[in-house]
Amino acid sequence: MAISKEAFKVLESIVGPEYISDDPAVCEGYRAGPGGYECGLGYERVMTRVPACVIMPRTTQEVQKIVKVCTRRRIPYVPYSTGFYGPRSHPHVRDALLIDLKRMDNIEIDEKHFFAVVGPGAIYSPLQEEAMKRGAYVVIGGGGSQASVIANLIGDGWSPLSHRIGLPHRRILGTELVLPDGELLKLGSLAQQDDPFWGEGPGPDLRGLLRGYTGLRGCLGIVTRMALKLLPFQPERLEPTGVSPHTTLTLPERRVKWINFTVPSKEAQVKAMFEIAKAEIAGAVTKVPLFWRAIAKAECKEEFWDIWGKENSDTIKNFHIVRVLLIGFTSEEQMEYDERVLMDIMEEVGGEPRRTRPTDESWIKNADSAGMWLMCGSYVSLDYVIETLSQATVHGEMYADLKWKYTPPLMPDFGDPGWFQSFELGHQGYSEFLVYWDQDDDTTGVDHFYVETSKMNIRNRTYTSLLGPHQPLYLTGPKYGPNYHKWLLKVKDEFDPEWICHPPVPLAHDVFMEQAAWMKPLKDWKAPKKLP
Amino acid sequence: MPAKPTQINVTALWNESTKHPVKLDVTQFDNFVYDMSRCIKCKGCTWVDHIYMPGAKFTTKCPSATRYLFDAYGAYGKMRIGYALAQAKLDWTDKLLEIVYACTLCGACDVGCKRNLDLEIELTLEALRVQAVKAGKGPMSAHTEIAHSIEKKHNFFGSPHENRTKWLPQMITPAVKADVLYFVGCAASYKNPEIAQATAKILDASGTPFMLMPDEWCCGNTLYSVGMVPEARKLAHRNVEAVKQTGATTVLTSCAEGYRMWKVDYPKMLNISTADLGFRVVHLVEYVEELIKQGVLKLAKRMDAQLAYHDSCSLGRLSEPWVPWEGQRGWMGIVEPRLQRRRGTNGVYQQPRDILNSIPGVKLLEMPRMKENTFCCGAGRGTREAFPDFALWAARQRLEEIKEVGAEVLVSACPWCKNNFAHAITQDGERVTVLAISEVILASVEA
Repeated sequence: MAISKEAFKVLESIVGPEYISDDPAVCEGYRAGPGGYECGLGYERVMTRVPACVIMPRTTQEVQKIVKVCTRRRIPYVPYSTGFYGPRSHPHVRDALLIDLKRMDNIEIDEKHFFAVVGPGAIYSPLQEEAMKRGAYVVIGGGGSQASVIANLIGDGWSPLSHRIGLPHRRILGTELVLPDGELLKLGSLAQQDDPFWGEGPGPDLRGLLRGYTGLRGCLGIVTRMALKLLPFQPERLEPTGVSPHTTLTLPERRVKWINFTVPSKEAQVKAMFEIAKAEIAGAVTKVPLFWRAIAKAECKEEFWDIWGKENSDTIKNFHIVRVLLIGFTSEEQMEYDERVLMDIMEEVGGEPRRTRPTDESWIKNADSAGMWLMCGSYVSLDYVIETLSQATVHGEMYADLKWKYTPPLMPDFGDPGWFQSFELGHQGYSEFLVYWDQDDDTTGVDHFYVETSKMNIRNRTYTSLLGPHQPLYLTGPKYGPNYHKWLLKVKDEFDPEWICHPPVPLAHDVFMEQAAWMKPLKDWKAPKKLP
Repeated sequence: MPAKPTQINVTALWNESTKHPVKLDVTQFDNFVYDMSRCIKCKGCTWVDHIYMPGAKFTTKCPSATRYLFDAYGAYGKMRIGYALAQAKLDWTDKLLEIVYACTLCGACDVGCKRNLDLEIELTLEALRVQAVKAGKGPMSAHTEIAHSIEKKHNFFGSPHENRTKWLPQMITPAVKADVLYFVGCAASYKNPEIAQATAKILDASGTPFMLMPDEWCCGNTLYSVGMVPEARKLAHRNVEAVKQTGATTVLTSCAEGYRMWKVDYPKMLNISTADLGFRVVHLVEYVEELIKQGVLKLAKRMDAQLAYHDSCSLGRLSEPWVPWEGQRGWMGIVEPRLQRRRGTNGVYQQPRDILNSIPGVKLLEMPRMKENTFCCGAGRGTREAFPDFALWAARQRLEEIKEVGAEVLVSACPWCKNNFAHAITQDGERVTVLAISEVILASVEA
């Protein structure tokens, strides 16, 4: 049953006729696929639906009213900021209301206290520009500059620039959350007064519920306002240059500089990262997959394959790079000191500096995730793991090994162990594994690989992000707990007893396993017969 | 488990894969199903290039997505809608027509997408309109009226054909035969004689003999833009043949829309390369910049003013030459033969800036959105006629930028932009002057 005319009228009275539509063409524009993050896979095909209606509130109060109407009338709804996060940010059930938050795009900077307050429609690059005008920066997550700041911070929210500060819970300050029943929950110092400067605030810190490690895809409510920490930067302008597609930030070389090093081995890579972290230098320390270099060099898909086709398993195995961003936060002299320390470390581990362009087009202002789709047309980051630096590399190798089994349909990458880097000055090692395929191929193998990675992580006891909102909760929950699933479902029941906020998350992948016949052979865990 | 491949042979993989024929032909919607199916909702089509993102204001470059807000109006929505149409899963409705036509086809989406990907967004949007016409649903009624005017009177406005050359100043007599043929276009012929006159005087002042077409007709921009390709193609044939008959080697325009038609869409419709037209196509700013470099034309008269230049879409990001292409798509979406994609990189961006900067006393101010990231004025490609409120809204957005940078004069290289801005300025009583670049050049040429 579609949303009734009566309900539509009530919703329309909240936002005005210009900001609500149930027209089929308008709703079709909100389809998750067929292309995009994780799209073209079974999950997208089986689990996503075009919304029955779209509404665009402007204020927190409007969001509250909308949610209350939905609760009263049992209308399932999904919060939506940009839609970039693929099927998991789109409706999973028929007749859902999609709450498009793009009008809530406020960005306010508290220059004195070094934080910004944003709405869920605000994306990263305008915020970064405003921050940089004030001698500050934010970490633009790997999701890219086009990602909603809030959605990214409660979902993922890290990048090579996380070297100094780590996961986003350290950056999330006072936050406002509309609960599934419409009640307003204020977190941190916002709970006491209208000042969001502090994330924890007195009393229990609820940011963990909101975010955990990688968030719950909006199934526990809608964040309508969030303050985030700004980090001090250096004062010189990073000058935009070039015409598309060759646009880049020209770096003031005495204050900001990337240096790429080749090192002799994986062990040297890890040692270099540890030592750089211990010395407390650099703004980013990372190892990226070799094929990203091919993307950066290629003008087009065909050229990418010209370049990538020349690589082989030996060249991948023997290619060890450490990419370091130096920032003279306080002065040119500080950066000179950092560079001398860096060179000493690299000499010790046998690292050789390579010619590196004095520009940035990939991390500081334009986290360039859209380029991920260049070579195959389809992409998802299948796993993110926090380990120690030395274990992070092991994780990547395990993944690469499993991946052979599913190549094709996965892109041939000759065992590249993915992306890894230092977080929180080496306290954590971050590993991300990215996979690519052509969605026109039979994607059953990719669907299987998805679940097999969970099983691999469970076997090897790695700290994966892929729990309930990304994988079958009844597979992962008992293994990461032993009762993580029970706890999470109790939280969900408490916050959203009617399960109208983005159903059936966090059991969506469990439902997918039931509904996709080709997934059944992989299901070797216990789950209730009836899922919501 | 199969043996681990240690190397791949891309050519062999492509040869062995299933292949689909594909052609850059907007009259066949199927050509763009791949592009529609690979949109990733990064919205690079809508946001200003993140590298150039100016801050919390002026963040978008797509007028349609910015004005109407629903995703359906952005290219990401239209790609999904187009895909559903191609799969026969969506019916044409009035709302769908509005979504397809309330768009300036300004190319911002195309260059934004192609910063990272290889998708043909602009061509897909054009093909969507062709599809609307084929389905008997498009174009909008305002467009049909224009089509009638063009058919009956050979001009956009339905004005008497015999008035086409009334703009000619008495002191200037075009040559009967010359290398340079000035294609005046409907706007400058009937509504903006000051642009045609300034252009003629500049050519005259530089000692460039120029001719007019013996019988100039509309370029057909609106017909092509709203999806009426057979009608537009007829004009393309007629006009190209007419130029060839004159023996001119250069067609010069003072209108960005006309420039794009001659340089890009005529070759596209005739399935030839721009290079094979038999003559070169230049906009006045390209020609003047060459004359200045050669020392033939001097912009000596002082103009103490703060100017801002508006990059007309059809002169900037949409103006790269056309090369026909057809081939096959195979493994991982690779196409063969190789396709040189038009990404807006080599648009006419710098020449007008160089000209304006060469005028003594001029202070050229850049707006936050410029060159390939320019926010369209809102007038072009049938928009103002079918959606006047939207066109006015778009012009107002741009005028906000003018105020932001503090410019006194807004300079444009297209009469359609000039008129739309002028309309918004009059409506709102803004204290900004809008001038065609030809007028500015002439003011500096004349002693």
